[in-house]
Amino acid sequence: MRGAAVGASSARRTRAALLLVPFAVGAAWALVLAQPAAGPSPLEPAAWRRAWTFLSRLLGRGLAEEPAFARPEVWARMADLALGTLAMSVTGAALATLAALLTVPLAARAREEPARGALRGPVRACYVLARSVPEIVWALLLVLVSGPGPLAAALALGVHNAGVLGRLFTDVVEDVDPRPGRALATAGAGRVEAFWYGTFPQILPQVLTFSLYRWEVIVRTTVVVEAVTGSGMGAALRLALSGRAFTTVTVILALYVALVLLVDVLSGALRTLARA
Amino acid sequence: MPAPFRRPGGRTIAGLLAAAAVGVALLRLGADAGPAGAGGGAQALERLVRGALAPERSPAYLLTVAADAAVTAAYAVAAMSLATVAGLVAAVIASGVLLDRAWLRAGCRIVLALTRSAHELVWALLFVAAMGLSPAAGVLAIAVPYAGVIGRVLGDRLRDVDPAPVRALAAAGASPLSRLFYGVVPQVAPDALGYLAYRLECALRSAAVLSFVGLGGLGFRIELALRDLDYARAWTPIYATLLLVVLVDWLGARTRRRFAR
Repeated sequence: MRGAAVGASSARRTRAALLLVPFAVGAAWALVLAQPAAGPSPLEPAAWRRAWTFLSRLLGRGLAEEPAFARPEVWARMADLALGTLAMSVTGAALATLAALLTVPLAARAREEPARGALRGPVRACYVLARSVPEIVWALLLVLVSGPGPLAAALALGVHNAGVLGRLFTDVVEDVDPRPGRALATAGAGRVEAFWYGTFPQILPQVLTFSLYRWEVIVRTTVVVEAVTGSGMGAALRLALSGRAFTTVTVILALYVALVLLVDVLSGALRTLARA
Repeated sequence: MPAPFRRPGGRTIAGLLAAAAVGVALLRLGADAGPAGAGGGAQALERLVRGALAPERSPAYLLTVAADAAVTAAYAVAAMSLATVAGLVAAVIASGVLLDRAWLRAGCRIVLALTRSAHELVWALLFVAAMGLSPAAGVLAIAVPYAGVIGRVLGDRLRDVDPAPVRALAAAGASPLSRLFYGVVPQVAPDALGYLAYRLECALRSAAVLSFVGLGGLGFRIELALRDLDYARAWTPIYATLLLVVLVDWLGARTRRRFAR
């Protein structure tokens, strides 16, 4: 009886909370549109005329010289930068996976294990901090430590995604069959050996899957992080936009989309392979 | 008789390929890195950590950061309102639950893949270059790729529903629209709400860095403080970002539990 009454009142509260959504959305729009603007609003036709001019410039209209996308040497230079971005995304994903794997035994509590491990709280708090702060902010901070360049970009990608993967790996470890690890511990293995030989082989497929999925997200973000740390294709994109080299922007965007699609395909293929 | 040599499984091959890729990537980045940059090194790191342990907490600054947090939350909510509507429509089209035409489904999937293929800040750079700097450009920049990913994920979810209730409704003569609302939607609503809450969490993070193109919010306050190398002032808005994200995470978990019953 009582349970039903509580259920009904909580359902009523949920419905009341959902009624608040339109008001929240309205208030949000009001606050956003009250922000200062340095250009026409997209609701005005002037903005769409500007957008049309921008698009035609991307396609090389009204250009005195040869457009950049007709020059093979521009493609070659930008393709080289794209390979650097690919390498950066792989490094970021690898750093994140490594950091998450090395810390997850401290953060996770295997089934039926007594509540032990003083570091569990602090490590989980680090995951939350790493994950909640966007890569771009980590890049802004780390660029002041290591200077502009690929190192800051790789570390920024590594820190944020270590937080994301750490949380996912924690859930995986906590669902694992505890018997192999316990058998090893009974045979005299320490906690570290019990993890690497008992638990790790069980979580490896899911670790690979999650890291590969994350790589697809990371490759999209790498360009933006690079724009902050002043390296690679991201910096080239920002430079081309501010220098109004619009046909170069077209080349970079084409290579960016190609890179993202390539990584989606590679990640999918590796995930299929890992499941076999 | 046991085989003397077991052929390596797909998992081993995938692992080895991944390790090789990391090796090649590190070689390439080593070639890119060049001489050590003009960073502050250990000294800067120490000041960064000090700032994290003792962020600026004067009432006036806390008020400023709270106002920035409201702006960032407003960008996130406004962008999600657009992305949710567009994403749900795209999900229905891409899944073909309402109108099953192969060309329509394929076309919708291609458009969704294209919107998803660029990061929201790349969209922001393009929108600002195309339309000028305006808050609406920031909202659109987040809404476009988010609509793409919401449409993709919820579209896949719509295809995975149990067909029995839908068939029962069809047998009783229900129209396609009422089949959708009474047969499909109740099955996916808890998952969809949970996923939308997760996306709102991501939108908060994205909105916090709209300062990348020169828009206001928490990221703007962080950049302003870092320009002065004032790490204590930088960490207050960083912690505000953390609080917003954790709050939405908690609200999302609550909503999902409510609807899962």
